[in-house]
This record gives sequence, structure tokens and C-alpha cells, in this order.
Amino acid sequence: MEQAAAAPPPHILVVDDDREIRDLLAKFLERQRFRVTTARDAREARRVWPNGHFQLVVLDLMLPGEGGLDFARWLRTQSDVPIVMLTALGEETDRIIGLELGADDYLSKPFNPRELLARIRAVLRRAGEPSEKREEKPARGLHFAGWTLEPTRRRLLSPDGVEVPLTGGEYDLLVALVDRANKVLTRDMLLDLLRGRQAGPFDRAIDVAISRLRRKLEDDGRHAQLIKTVRGGGYVLAAEVTRV
Amino acid sequence: MTPTPGPTPAPAAAAPAPRPAWLRRLHLHLWPRSLAGRTAVLLVMALTVVQAAGLVIHALDRVDLQRLAQTHDIALRAITLYRAVALAPPAERALVARTFDVTSDSAAQLAPNPPIEDLMLTPLALQRQLRADMMLVPMPQTQRPRDQVFLGGPAYGRLAVGLQLPDGQWLNVTTAMPPPRPWNSATFLIAFLVMTAAAAALTVWAVRRLIRPVATLAAAADALGRDVNAPPLPETGPLEVATAAAAFNTMAARIRRFVDDRTFMLTAIGHDLRTPITRLKLRAEFMEDDEQRAKMLADLDELAAMVSATLAFGRDVAGDEPVRAVNLVALIRTLLDETVDARPEAEALVTYAGPEHLTVRARPVALKRALTNLVHNALNYGRCAHVMLAPPLGSVVTVLVDDEGPGIPPDQLDLVFQPFHRGEGSRNRETGGTGLGLPIARNILRAHGGDVTLANRPGGGARATVTLPLPA
Ligand SMILES: Nc1ncnc2c1ncn2[C@@H]1O[C@H](COP(=O)(O)OP(=O)(O)OP(=O)(O)O)[C@@H](O)[C@H]1O
Ligand SMILES: [Mg+2]
Repeated sequence: MEQAAAAPPPHILVVDDDREIRDLLAKFLERQRFRVTTARDAREARRVWPNGHFQLVVLDLMLPGEGGLDFARWLRTQSDVPIVMLTALGEETDRIIGLELGADDYLSKPFNPRELLARIRAVLRRAGEPSEKREEKPARGLHFAGWTLEPTRRRLLSPDGVEVPLTGGEYDLLVALVDRANKVLTRDMLLDLLRGRQAGPFDRAIDVAISRLRRKLEDDGRHAQLIKTVRGGGYVLAAEVTRV
Repeated sequence: MTPTPGPTPAPAAAAPAPRPAWLRRLHLHLWPRSLAGRTAVLLVMALTVVQAAGLVIHALDRVDLQRLAQTHDIALRAITLYRAVALAPPAERALVARTFDVTSDSAAQLAPNPPIEDLMLTPLALQRQLRADMMLVPMPQTQRPRDQVFLGGPAYGRLAVGLQLPDGQWLNVTTAMPPPRPWNSATFLIAFLVMTAAAAALTVWAVRRLIRPVATLAAAADALGRDVNAPPLPETGPLEVATAAAAFNTMAARIRRFVDDRTFMLTAIGHDLRTPITRLKLRAEFMEDDEQRAKMLADLDELAAMVSATLAFGRDVAGDEPVRAVNLVALIRTLLDETVDARPEAEALVTYAGPEHLTVRARPVALKRALTNLVHNALNYGRCAHVMLAPPLGSVVTVLVDDEGPGIPPDQLDLVFQPFHRGEGSRNRETGGTGLGLPIARNILRAHGGDVTLANRPGGGARATVTLPLPA
């Protein structure tokens, strides 16, 4: 927020069919120093798109007429602008399709405004980083040591194709390890990742999360082969990772 | 398919048996439990009786025939001897009579009087028969016996025939007349056994065929219980079966419509509530009073949770989630870890015991929700949650969720599974639930082909028993 004084405020396009929600959301985001333009449906959104120079789109997937998913598809042909989807509760398929289309995050309605704000900021920050990750197309699967991570579904499959459920924290941790396979991740880097996910002392949280992960990966804690402990406080995923 | 009790030995074994065990076992063996088996047993029994009756009739027939032949034989032998004696010169008569004495079971002698034996008079019908048979042997009318006496018969094993010669002397012939033995042939028994076995085999085959639709109907009813969208029964076969199948299909269609209506209504309400709740949450952000805003947001979160529960209940079978292979142990650990992450104070109160790996076929998100509901109940009402995964028994895996709370009043054990039912104690609790946790859990588990039941543990506390089918 400090740097917002210098840089022009990010411009956000909010697409939602409910006028009250549109207006309230605009007011709420403007108070957080964003510039907001609203659109009632996909048609109006297409009309305002060309001249808006938007940095982010908040998109309700349940739009009248042309649905939100179709608009997202169209948007992807136009630009790489980050998209935060608003989905109906439990509509798994819509969410998965949306993430596969390249949406950056999602929230299900009714959402908490502050949570939306946090996601918007996180997505904008990631978009701002000149990281190599943004350029790559979202991977459908990451393979390592026989295991498969499916980012769009946020799930882990064992070598024999059995789903191994993970907690949100474990999943994020594993993604971080897989993304930087064969590189040492310090405790501090991992702490950053887990912050806000876990209550209690963070140091312990990392060790607990790592040991939980090892157990689920059937990686014996004493002679861990996959997630190795590095002396001096760090971890490394020792495996070749292939993306598909 | 009844849910199997926990791994503890069934208490029935300890209870005093009303009948001796061997008798029960015998009864069990002889009296099959299936309709096909019972029908077959009854039919085979009836057939055996009919067979036996037929054989008895046949045997009696044979007895008659045998007796006829025997009588005929005796009569002819007696009269032939008589003729020989009567035609012989008087001096040689005794000699001729003795020639008859060649077999051990018969004897003949000349005597001045009719046979004196310790025998009753021969039955009249037999006498008539003997007389008629004797008339068959030709001889001059003057030589025919002047008088005839018959004593004994098959009932005594002997027959004595006295024939008076024209000169007043008597020729007394005694013959063994054994009672007929109609069962005395080997083919007889074999024929009986072969026929009975063939009839039994045919009966079992036919009954099996005829009863099969009943099993199909039962399977269809079972499938409908798990999934209202199970495919309809084919309306073919014998008239009664086709009618039953049609009636069943109609009933299934009605249930389906009813469920659809209910689901539609609940989902519609849930969907409609989403927008106003979102608006209210946004409005709350503009409230000046921090405390009031926090409280309002908490209320709205609760409201949203209720809507989400209602939607989950209306959606019934977890919507469009596909079934796939899941590591049940990782799923349980995940939900326990998430529970502990959300309430760190419960860390020591939540335990897991069981194997480290077990694969089931399930809808992971839905199954996790079902088990989470049970664990939350155990924590909320029973202070702690001990989850145990019993080693698979047959094709069923059992998950137990134990707690150390007050348990559930026995009359409420089934009621708590009804939607919106909340126990007295929980209704005025600070943290309000909706009373949908258990119904959702049961819906989800039944959609998986399993179930969940609640019970009070003898040592105190409640136990939720979850059963899930294992992949074949
Ligand atoms: N382990 C338990 N020990 C004692 N009582 C229980 C236990 N589990 C459930 N109950 C009783 O059964 C009732 C119904 O439980 P259910 O989970 O369906 O609803 P809830 O917990 O009240 O609300 P929700 O789960 O929807 O937030 C509870 O209100 C409680 O009285
Ligand atoms: Mg509950």
C-alpha cells in the first residue's frame, strides 16, 4: 500500500449481474485505492475491455446470457490479464474448467470481502513479479518420482493412480518443493508460504507439515529419499520433475 | 446388506441359545434360507412322497401277481399229483404220492382223513381260486376229488390241500407258501434312487429359473436405495414378474421425481440466499463500529455455513463429483489435520489408529465431508475424537469415530439422522449447528454403498460406525 502513492492505482474490472454487489464491491475496492469499472454481463464487459487497460478481472461465473466461462475463454484470447473467479458453492466442474482456462484464483459465493481483497493483492503481486512462472502455461500435471500433482484440481495422485488427499498447507508446501525441485528451500522461504495457513508457532508448523507430507508420500522420515532434510535448516525435493 | 458390527466379537455368541446348537445347525442345514432353496426342498419332498406312493401301488400289484402265480402253481401241482395217484393202482398209490416229496418245502401223503394241521381255513377267495385252477387239469369226471379241504395260506407260510379220492382216502399235500417279497429286486432300489435324483435335479433347476426374478427385484430395490437414478428393471418375463417390474419402475420414477423436487427447491433457496448474503457481507465492511462489524460478519458466516449445509444436503449425492480410487488413510489424516489446524486446542484430543494405507473407491470431497461431520460432532459433543480404521473384513471396511462424551439417549439414536434434528443440549449451545451434519454424512455414505450408525459404547461415550464397500 505504501508504494501506491507513486504508482497509479491498479484498474480492476468487476463483472457481476447483481447491481448491488457490483456497486458495493466497487465502493469497497475503491476505498482500498483501486480504480474499478463494473460490467453487468459479458457483452458490457467486452465493450469496456478495449480502452480499460485493466490489471485484473473479478469475474462471476454465473452470468446471464453468455456465461462467465465463455467470457473467460474470450478474454484469454485477448490478453494474459489475471482473473479471479467467483463461483457457486460446490460447482466443482466450473471451477476446474475455469482454472484450466487459466484463471488465477477463485472464491465461492458468498465470499468474505477481505478475503477477496487478499486474493486480489496476491494475484497482482504475482503478476507483477518478473518470474518465469507467469509466462508458462498452467501445467495440467507435474510428475515426480512416479507421483503426479494436478494444479487445477489441487490434488496428488500416487504412482498407481490413487488420489492422496492433502490439506491446503501440505499442498502449497509440496507445490513449492516441486517448483524448485533439487534446490534447497530454507525454513524462512517455507515459513513465508505457510504464513496465515497455520495457527501456532510457525517453526514447528513447518516441521509438522513436512513430516505429514512425508508420511503421505510414504517417504520414511528417518531415511527420507524424496523430501530430504538439509543440514542447517532447509528441505529439498530430490526428484526430476516433468510438466505436461 | 446390513452394516457389520464393529470388530468386537458379536454379543449373540455369548447369549444363551434357545435351542441346542446341534438342533439349530441341523435345522439350518435342512431348511435353506433362500426362497429357491425352500421351494426346491418342499417340491423334492412332495415328489419323493409321490414316488414312494407310486412304488407301493406298483409293489402291491406285484404281490397280487406273485400270489396268483403261486396259487396257480400249487393248485396244478396238487391236482396233477392227485390225478397220478387216482389213476394208479391202489397198491402203488402210496408210492406215487411219495414221488411228490422231492422238494423240501412240500410233502404229500395218503391218509384216511383230511389234513389235520394247526392251521385256519384258507380264505374263501383263495379257495375259489384254487378250485378254479384245479378244474384246468383234464380228467374223467368220476375221478375228480369227492371233497376238497384247504387250510392255511400265505399268512401262515404254508398251505395244506386235502383231496378225497373216489375210494374215500385222502391225498394231503402240504406246500410252503412264503409271503410275497416285492422289494426283493436290486433294480427296484436303483430305479427308485435314480428317479428321485433326476426329479430333484430337475426341480432345483426349474425353481432356480423361476425364482430368479425375485432376486433381480431385490437387487433393484437395493440399488434404488443407494442411487435413485439406478437403471429401470426390464419389464419382461412371466406375467406376474413383468407386472411387478413395471410397478417397481413406476415407484422408482415417483421417488425420483420427489427427490428431484426436493433437491431443486433446496438448491433454489440456497442459490437465492447467496446473493443477499454477499451483499450483507459487503455492507458490513462499511460499518463504523468494529465490534458490531465483526459480530455481523460472524453471523453472516454462520448463515453462509447453514446455506452451504442445506445445499450439500439438497444436492444429496455430492453433485457431479466422480468416483475414483482414494487413499482412505490419507483422507482421514487430512481431515483430522484440518480439524486440528482450525482448533489448535483440540490437538491432543484427536487421534487416529489403523493401517497406513488403504485404497477405496469414493468421491473424495464428499467422503471427507461425511467423515468430517462425524469428527466435528465427536469433538463438539464428546470432547474428543478417536478415529479407528478396522482392517477390512470381507469386502467391507469399517471406520469408527469414538468420543468420551455423554453419548446419545437410546431413543434418539435414529432420530439424530433426521434433517434439522438437534439434541436438547445442542440446541441452546452458543455455536449453532443446523442439524444437517449427520443426515449429510448418511446420504453421502449411502450413496457410496455404505452407511453410518451411532451407538453408545459400554464404557461411556458415543461411537459412530461407518461402513464402506471395498473395490472388488
Ligand atoms: N458424538 C455425539 N455425542 C452426543 N450427541 C451427538 C453426537 N453426535 C451427534 N449428536 C447429537 O445429534 C444431533 C444432530 O447432529 P448433527 O451433526 O446432525 O447436527 P448438529 O451437529 O447439531 O449440526 P451441524 O452438524 O449441522 O452443524 C446433535 O445436535 C447432537 O445433539
Ligand atoms: Mg454436527
